[in-house]
This record gives sequence, structure tokens and C-alpha cells, in this order.
Amino acid sequence: MDCSQFKSGILAFREHALPEAQATPASEHLASCAACRNLMSEFDQLDELIERDKAATPNPFAGTRILQRIENELGTSRERTAVRWSRILTPVVMVIALLFGLFIGTNKARNDSRITGSVAVSSENVAFLRTNLLISEFADEDKILVLNK
Amino acid sequence: MTDPELIEGILRRDRNAFQYLVEKYQARIIKTACYFVGNMEDAEDLSQEIFLDIIRSMKSFRRSSSLSTWIYRITVNRSLNLVKKHQRRGIFMRLESVFKTPSGNGGERSAEPCITQNDIDHHEKRELLNAAIRRLPENQRIAFVLSKYDDQSYKQIAEIMKIRLPAVESLIHRARKNLQKDLVPYFSEYQKK
Repeated sequence: MDCSQFKSGILAFREHALPEAQATPASEHLASCAACRNLMSEFDQLDELIERDKAATPNPFAGTRILQRIENELGTSRERTAVRWSRILTPVVMVIALLFGLFIGTNKARNDSRITGSVAVSSENVAFLRTNLLISEFADEDKILVLNK
Repeated sequence: MTDPELIEGILRRDRNAFQYLVEKYQARIIKTACYFVGNMEDAEDLSQEIFLDIIRSMKSFRRSSSLSTWIYRITVNRSLNLVKKHQRRGIFMRLESVFKTPSGNGGERSAEPCITQNDIDHHEKRELLNAAIRRLPENQRIAFVLSKYDDQSYKQIAEIMKIRLPAVESLIHRARKNLQKDLVPYFSEYQKK
């Protein structure tokens, strides 16, 4: 075997993938040829580099970052349920709050208009005023009705 | 947790299943991605996308292969897509550099004080090896990287690549020949220096 033949099968030789009929002459050539031994040592260094790459370990926080990203992008079932409910409940609560506000507002307006007298005074109120407040010369139903107008 | 339990958990979007998936596969995914993309940082970023892909496409996992094979397939595809993206970007950057004047500071590497001649030699060789692997046709590159770096058996590679066993042997043989063609002349020159 000469150098060019050896070079053409060097990777297979290194990985013990050459058939026996070629592997034995290749070994013999290697034992007698310094240039091919140097070439082999260059490939040894490449293998060392590959082994070094293989031994490299990922950042220990990589897993945490991956999980964080997953939760940000997808969320877990419980969180997704909470988000789904919040999407439904938020507008419902808003509408209820709005209606409640409207109800309180209209009630207050009604009460205010009663105080200013735009609403007719009931006969019970007339009796109350007559007996407790307007017992004097003003206790006269006509005057009370004037006040109601 | 068995694979079927893990799959069910992922489909339910269960936090424990996500955690188990990440714990079980993160190191392998990051390392495999690293062999293709060439650096750990990119591989770690890419692994996030890969896990999202796995979870999102779990519904379409037909269980015709094992879960780990399917995960490897996604990892390899995603990694190759990133490499192609970088290559496209590289073309634009090279075009851009044509119109720029050279800075003339003698390169970045020599500016670092702690780097010895031996490191430079190693760096050069690593670059040489990576470049030679990158130049391989895609199928040869996948087969070679999975075999040489990832220590996958030919049978596993055949499953990941969805090809027959003799095809894997042939791809690795051709990859070896091509690498030899690239590297032997360089080393012969290198020895003369």
C-alpha cells in the first residue's frame, strides 16, 4: 500500500471500518511511513476536538429558561382555565357594576326630586305634616298642596 | 413517567409533564442542535423553539416511531432550518463586506492576550472541521453528525431520517470520503509549514 491509497481510506481505517483485506496492509504501511503517521496524528487531534465538543455541557439554567418560555407561550392547564374564566368574567362584572351604578344613580335622582317636591305628597305625609309640623295657623291642606307644586 | 403518560400530560398542558419533558430531553436536544448550528448559545436559544414545537405538534404525533426518535427529527429539522437562515444571512453579510473598507487590525483573535499558539491551532482545526462538515450535502451531514457526535446507532439514524439502514451506511461512507477529500490536503500542507 502506498501513501495515496492509505489517505483514501484513512477515515475508514481509523473507525475500523476497512475490510480485513485492506486493514492489514494499511497498518503495515502506517508502521513504515512517518508522513502517514503525522497525518493520523492530525486526525487524532480532530477526534479530540470532537470529543471535547461532545463533553460540552449546556448552561445549567437552560432548563429553567425553556420552562419559563413554555409557560409564557402556552401556559399550563390551570393558568389557561383561569385566563379563560377571567376573559368571561371581566366583562360580566363590568356590566353588572355599570347596571348597579345606573340603578343607584336613578334612585338617587328620584329621591332628590321627592325632596324638591315635584312628587306628589301622599295623604299619610299630609297627615304627618298637619299633626306634627303645621299644627298652627299654617296647618291647612291648601297651603300644603301649594308647597307640593 | 412513561412515554404515553408524558404524551397525555403534554396534550393536557400539564405543568409536570412539561417539566419532565424538559428534564429528560433538554441536554440531548441542546447538544444535538449545537452539533448542527456550531455554538452552544444558538443551540440553547433554538432548544426553546424546539420544545415549543414538540408541545404544539404533539397532537400530530402518530406514534409510528418512538417519542425520542420523533423529538430528534424535530431537533434536526429545526437546527438545519436555522443553519440555512444563517447561511442566507451570511451571503448578505459577505455582499455587504464587499462594499466596506477593511479595518486592518489583524483580526480579532490575536487581540485576545490569553490565546496561545496551540489554541490558535485548535481553533483553526475546529473551524476547518466545521467548515468541511458544513460543506457536506445535507443528508450526509445529518447522518455523519448523528453518528459521530451524537453516537446514534445506524438503526436510530435510519429511523430519525426515515430511510433504510443501507442508505445510512452509504451516506456515512460518502460523508467520510468527502471529509477526507477536504481535510487530507489541508493536513498535508499543514505538515509542510
